Order: sequence, then C-alpha cells, then structure tokens
Amino acid sequence: MTLSHVHSRPRMPDRVVLLGSSGFLGRGLARACAAAGIETIGLGSHEVDLAEASAGLRLAERLRPRDTIVFLSALTPDKGRDSGTLVRNLAMGRAVCEATRNIEIAQLVYASSDAVYSFATTLISEATPAVPIDLYGVMHRARELILASEAKAPLAVLRLTAIYGAGDTHNSYGPNRFMRQALKDGRIALFGNGEETRDHVHVDDAVDVILKVIAHGSTGLLNVASGRSITFRSVAERVAARAGRAVEVATSPRQNPATHRHFDTTNLMRAFPGVRFKTLDDGLAATFADMRAAASA
Amino acid sequence: MNKPVVGFAGMTHLGLVSASSVAARGFDVVCFDADSALIRRLTQQDWPVLEPGLDELIRSNARRQRFTDSWADLSMCDVVYVAPDVPTDDQGASDVSGLTALIRDVAGKMKPDAVMVVLSQVPPGYTRALGVLSPQRLYYQVETLVFGLAVERATKPERTIVGCADPAAPLDQRFRAVLDAFGCPILPMRYESAELAKISINCCLVASVTVGNTLAELCERIGGDWSEIAPALKLDRRIGPYAYLTPGLGIAGGNLERDLATVQRLSDAHGTEAGLILAWLRNSRHRRDWPLRELHERVIARVADPVIGVLGVTYKENTHSIKNSPAVALIRELPSCRLRVFDPAVRASAEWHPRMMVTEDALATCDDADALVIMTPWPQFRALKPGDVAGRLRGRVVVDPFSMLDRAAAAAAGLEHVVLGAPLPVHA
Repeated sequence: MTLSHVHSRPRMPDRVVLLGSSGFLGRGLARACAAAGIETIGLGSHEVDLAEASAGLRLAERLRPRDTIVFLSALTPDKGRDSGTLVRNLAMGRAVCEATRNIEIAQLVYASSDAVYSFATTLISEATPAVPIDLYGVMHRARELILASEAKAPLAVLRLTAIYGAGDTHNSYGPNRFMRQALKDGRIALFGNGEETRDHVHVDDAVDVILKVIAHGSTGLLNVASGRSITFRSVAERVAARAGRAVEVATSPRQNPATHRHFDTTNLMRAFPGVRFKTLDDGLAATFADMRAAASA
Repeated sequence: MNKPVVGFAGMTHLGLVSASSVAARGFDVVCFDADSALIRRLTQQDWPVLEPGLDELIRSNARRQRFTDSWADLSMCDVVYVAPDVPTDDQGASDVSGLTALIRDVAGKMKPDAVMVVLSQVPPGYTRALGVLSPQRLYYQVETLVFGLAVERATKPERTIVGCADPAAPLDQRFRAVLDAFGCPILPMRYESAELAKISINCCLVASVTVGNTLAELCERIGGDWSEIAPALKLDRRIGPYAYLTPGLGIAGGNLERDLATVQRLSDAHGTEAGLILAWLRNSRHRRDWPLRELHERVIARVADPVIGVLGVTYKENTHSIKNSPAVALIRELPSCRLRVFDPAVRASAEWHPRMMVTEDALATCDDADALVIMTPWPQFRALKPGDVAGRLRGRVVVDPFSMLDRAAAAAAGLEHVVLGAPLPVHA
C-alpha cells in the first residue's frame, strides 16, 4: 500500500484541524497553513486532552463536516517510555476515532513514526514489515491500525523519520541535541564513535509533505524521509563546523552494536514528483540561523 | 523406421520457433493453429514475433515446414507438440485454460498411435493430471525459450529434459528420433521433476541476476565497478562464463515472474520455506525503480517541467514484448515530465503518458531534452556517439543502465553518465 491522491491537482481544504498544534511539528504546520491561507484551528492538550475519557465527544463538538484532521498529538519517549504512556497514547487514538463517528471528515492525516520499523532491515520502504522494537513504535503501529479500522475518514499515514529544526521541544539524540550541546557546552557527546547512520528531515520539509498530502486529499501510507542517511559522527562534525565556537566532538565506549537505517524514497518521488528536501548542511545552517534569531529577539 | 512427421499445435512464439528448429533438422513439420488469420499471415511469411534469425530459418526450411488451420493435417503426424504460449496475469499466475482446451482437442484428433508432447510451460502436477491419453503416449518437454535468443536456443539446445509417466520406460522411438537429431544429452525424468526443473532453471537465473544487482548497487555507492568484477566471477568454475551477472532493471518479460509466483504458491500450499523468493522480488522492484530515482534526484527535483528522452520500451532488446517492461513502468511514472520516446520495434502507446511524443530515431529523441534515459539495450543504441547526444540534449544527464554509450567518450563529451554498477557521478 502506498499513497494515492483523491485530487490530482492540489486544492485548498475547507478547514484543517491540527491535533497537537503546540508541538514542534504542529507549530510549523500551523504557520505554513496560515501562510497558505488555509483556515486552521489548532488544538493542544490544553484545549482537548485526547487522553481523557470524554475526549472523543469534546473533540467532536469542535469538528465541522469536511474538516481535514491532522493528528500529531503524542506523548513522545521523553515524556515516558512505560506502558502507562502507551495506554494514554492509545486512548488518544481511540478518541480521534470516536470524534469522527458521526461527522463526515474529508481526510485524516496521521503523523506516525519510523519507530514502527525494526533495525533488521536497513533499507526501508513502505513495503517493509512494521515490526516495532519498543513501546513507542508499538504505540504508533497500534494507532495506525486503530485509525484504519475505526476512524470514519479517508486515512493517510505518514511515517516520519527524525525531524530537526529550531524550536524542537524534544532533546533526542541527533541534530537538535548536538546543536544545543555545541552552543551551550562546546562539546557534543557521541555514543561510541557515532557510527550509526540515520535519515534526518528538516521540519520545513516535513511540513511541506504534510501540506501536499492535505492538498491532494491523499490516502494510504508514505514514509517521510530524505533518502540520504548519514552517520551521527558526520552530523556532529557538521554541527561543530557551524556552531561559531570551538566544539569538541567527544566519543565514548560503545555499549551496543551500531544500527543503521536508510530509506528507499521512491514512493515519495512517485507521490510528489519534484519533491526535494534540504541537504543536511542547508538544514543545519537554517536551524542555526533561526536559533540565533530567536535568541537575539 | 520412417522419419516421423512432426506436428506443432499453437503458432505463437514458442510453437513457431520450436517447429522451425525441428524442421531445420530435416523433419517434415506441420504447423497448426485454429486461428485462420494467423495461419494466413504465416503463409505470407509475416511473422508475428520479432526474433533474430527466425526469418532465415523458416525460409531455409522451405517445404518441410507448412502452416495449416486444418485438423486433418495434424492428424497425419506421428509426434504432436502442443506449444501455445501460456498467458500470465500481473501477479505472474498462469492461465492454462487455453492450453488445456487445445490439448483435449488435439488428443481427440491425433492418429491412434501418435504421441503428444506438451511443450508449453505448465505448473508441477499438470501433465500427470491431464488424463487425456495413455501415459505411454504423453510426454512433457521443457522449453527454454529466451526472447531475443529463441532461435539459437531452439536450434542448439544444451540438453533436452523430458517428463515421462515412467522415466525407466524407453522413450517412444519416433519422439526419440526427433530429440536425437539435436545431438544433445536427453534427460528423461518424472513429469513432476521435469515441470519443476524448468522452474528451477529460472530460479537459478533470478538468483544470479539478484546477486549481480545487489552487488552492482553496492559498487555504485563505494566506488567499485561491477563491470570489472563480473568477468572475474565468470572465470570461477563454480559460477561459469554464461552466468547471468549483468546488472539490470529487475526481472521482466513474464516468464521468470510466473515461475517465482508458482514456487510461492506451491510453498504456501505445502508449507515449505521460500523467503528467498520474496527477497528476489523485492530486489527486482527496487532495481526496476533505479532510473526513476536517478532521474528524480538529478533532473525532476531540479528542473521545472522537464523534458525526458526515453530510448527503448521493450523489456529487452531483440523482442517486441513489453510484458512487465521497466521502460513502460518508468514512462507511466513520469507524469510531471514531457517525454520523447523511441523504440526500434514498438511504437509507444499514447495511453501510457499524456504528454509523450514518439520520435522517429534515437538522436531525435535527445532534441531539447533535459535528460536521456536508455531503458532497453538495443544494439543500435550502442552506435550512438556521446558527442552527438551531448550536442542534441539541453541537459547533461544520461541515465544509461546498460552502458550503451562508451563511458570514457560520454565523460569526454561532458555528459553526466549514470550507469548501473558503476560509481555514481556527482550531479553538476
């Protein structure tokens, strides 16, 4: 299963409802929707806590027929990796399904994660079996299945790889943490020698793909990755070179075997011919510029 | 024993080539098809398939080989091959209903002591289950048709594999005389073994192709060159000089796909492990999309409304077949581009792409194109001079999976020449 488009030519949705609008990706998407002139309402946990028992009804009250829902809300691993977090996350998925039960939704876009894949396969495509290895991956896979079976809406599932950019609220291992470490401590701490390869997508590129999916009313499954994987060591060195100060890239004894992850992005090219992601160098430069601008504001 | 008269029922690719090769060995051959229009066409020497050497072969057979739509002519034969091409669907599943109907019709018309040889490829278990003739009068012979090389393979087989009800029993003398005329080893075996032998051959070919593709892709990334490595492998006795190691765009044409689908189906039904087949298919799809990825990265993501020249639409050279053709798949996957397309044997269909111009020759395909992609290794494309291509192209990118252009000359002409299994050039 890959992505297919309801609208061959892009068109403006009636309205977009952003669930998780206060998060890193949500804020970027809200800005992009506003810039594109798309009527948007953003709902964060302060407006509707999707994990609460009555969340489905409360969300339904805010929906209109023909809304496009973008479901970004999730308790990420930094908020907890335990089964309690898993259950709360699943409750959010169920609430979204309940909210769609009695109203005609134009499209439901779910921001899933590449955490649904194991590291057994290094070249990942949409045909790669989803075999998560931790509860966060299990959560996203379970939500995908819950939405596919219970949500009353055409569904697009986007499995996003690691996103970076200014304003990231997480501190996961990778470009964002490295930039913070470089600016604050002048020292980037690698696991081992940073041999692992990963794909990194700038938040603007992820937002751009989500907007395209909305504009085409797409349904199905798509991995959102650049197709260019790079070692953490190389990421760290690129960050250090742009930090504007002396930065030590520190290694440590390796505790676990290095794992690698590469994406076959052919289906992304098929879905959106001409789509082009920032190079990591360009993305890091843009992020540093945004961070410095924010700091001086 | 008089020289047997040999009949062939089903005058599509397999039947026509096979019948011609038997006639070339001095036998009188009756070429039957119930399709009168097809027989008329054959009588007028208008061959329905493109196959190097076929025209010369049939002409040299002269009166030994005659075409007919009369059942009565077939009933004069001592040995009757049933040899229609068996169609496959998009999943590679065979539809043997037409073959079965033809076998039953032929069995009812053959003379009482004639033997039947099923030459069309059938799934394991098919021949024994037919029940149309006594086992002594029914054989299955493995065909090894290779599109584009069919005449050479049919006239000079390496061996003949024959499926029998009882391999310990001697072959019918008349059938044996036909096989002996080819002067190659004859391997009688149980029906089921012969049916699976054909599939086994194709699985070995796919395994070799997949090895080549897997390692060629690695070459592209690490600076190796598969064209340097493959000859070394072919000198290894355990691999051999004819091993299918040339990297390509995945398996196509329908026959290999059919055999992989058959193995998957049988493995599912009998509970045997066949994860390898899935791996081959995954690799095949991945490599089929190689030109799309290269074009996207180098042109489509960088040039507004690009024009792409496409050379070749058939699934391989020297054939008219477009079954599962990577070229046709690519053309369909370039909706955002304008296309200029040329193939020496097949005219591209307007249904494949809304903004496609069919050109009249290879160089004209390059005119004002932002990139050229050479999807089929037709021999005449090898004659293209990189300087001429560079002079006609607007862009510099030539995606040339089979290295039809001389690599050094392409580089000298300033082309960004992208070849399977060779280090990928950096985009200018």
